[in-house]
Amino acid sequence: MAPLTPEQTTPVGLRKKGGERFTVAWADGHESVYGARYLRGRCPCAQCVSEMTGQRLVFEDHVNPDVAVAAARTVGQYALHFDWSDGHTTGIYSYDYLRRICPCDACMSALEGGPA
Amino acid sequence: MTGPAITEAQVLDALRSVMDPDLHRDIVSLGFIRNMKIEGSVVAFDVNLTTPACPVKDRLRDQSRQAVLTNVPGATDVRVNMTAEVRRAQAPDTSALKTVRNIIAVGSGKGGVGKSTVAANIAASLASSGARVGLLDADIYGPSIPIMMQTGTPAEPLADNTIQPGIAHGVRLMSMGYLTPGDQPLIWRGPMAHKALQQCLLGVNWGELDYLVVDLPPGTGDVHLTLVQTVPVAGAVIVSTPQDVGLQIAMKTLRMLQQTKVPILGIVENMSYYLCPHCGERDELFGHGGAKAAAESMKIPFLGEIPLDIAIRRYSDRGTPVSIAEPESPSGLAFREITGKLAQQVSMRAFKNIALSIVEE
Repeated sequence: MAPLTPEQTTPVGLRKKGGERFTVAWADGHESVYGARYLRGRCPCAQCVSEMTGQRLVFEDHVNPDVAVAAARTVGQYALHFDWSDGHTTGIYSYDYLRRICPCDACMSALEGGPA
Repeated sequence: MTGPAITEAQVLDALRSVMDPDLHRDIVSLGFIRNMKIEGSVVAFDVNLTTPACPVKDRLRDQSRQAVLTNVPGATDVRVNMTAEVRRAQAPDTSALKTVRNIIAVGSGKGGVGKSTVAANIAASLASSGARVGLLDADIYGPSIPIMMQTGTPAEPLADNTIQPGIAHGVRLMSMGYLTPGDQPLIWRGPMAHKALQQCLLGVNWGELDYLVVDLPPGTGDVHLTLVQTVPVAGAVIVSTPQDVGLQIAMKTLRMLQQTKVPILGIVENMSYYLCPHCGERDELFGHGGAKAAAESMKIPFLGEIPLDIAIRRYSDRGTPVSIAEPESPSGLAFREITGKLAQQVSMRAFKNIALSIVEE
């Protein structure tokens, strides 16, 4: 995977729309809009991704379709932390990770076209 | 003397020619000019800098004076008062620390490179320049600040479960070492270290601080993670010895901090050379200049080098940092120069960074 530039992983704006949507504006001008279920289904914590094998255990399909962000806060200067309406609270989403999982069409097709 | 009265606008126009060398803007548009008073031919104002430890303070004072004397007709007496107000790097989201403007972490790769000595001297130098400074000794394995900064007033627990920091050399002090009695070691698993650091950060009545210097344990462990996750750190200083092995490990700590987006304020090379107390000759026991070369290749500020000097050890053991005990000695000067450069780096970043908070749309 190509390394990301500092501009691509530095947020300049963080916006939340109720519990359903979270938006990160990046220093390179890109904007990523994440749905709650999309993010919850990509939680990077050790309960959702196996600590031993690195395999994902909890997928978007496993998550309640109505899941919502109950609370969001910044973690130091490098990540976001979400409390989910289903009670899950252990994921710390680094800005690097968030940029890599940007759901916009351009980022998604770049990801599929590149090496897995 | 008669003639048209001097106006504030004239003086400000004249001062627009004075540039802050770090922020690359003139001191008027930076909002440094305060409290201007004009009486006849006498012009008086404050230049309010971003740090009392500013290394170019005298130069800015002279330039401001000259600019008004040369460019404002009728001004014969210009009185420049240098003041400072440390700007906040990022608004900490933790309400208990909202009175702390800049948190500076001091880290190293391996132990024994003089990290605590550097932290104590930086804190004491900042305080002696007039800043309000706290020093948190977060080294759970070898808390040494209680020895290096012997307290005038010790830290004490208060009835509301908070801790009143101790005070030494004008620095407010808290040490993880205060949490156990006497010579007892702290035998803790990660979660204990995490809780203890959070309490030292958030449960201490730091009061209004311009800088809170945090002396980290060596390496990249629980304490580091807790610090970068609990509070927005304005930046970190890495201390290393010149020889390769120390430097390579220091780079790991540096990369860990970079991964958590903590700005690296610079590298300090400690034990850079040995100053013989008898003949004054310089011996480079661990090689020399390694840290500077590493800083250059990683495009990180090199803050300076500190000699291996018996006076540093002696004053540390007696509880007074050398930068306070002998500020004009080679070691005292080295520490003060490093502190000045560090304060400059913090100020530059405080102007660049904007506080980031989550807004509801």
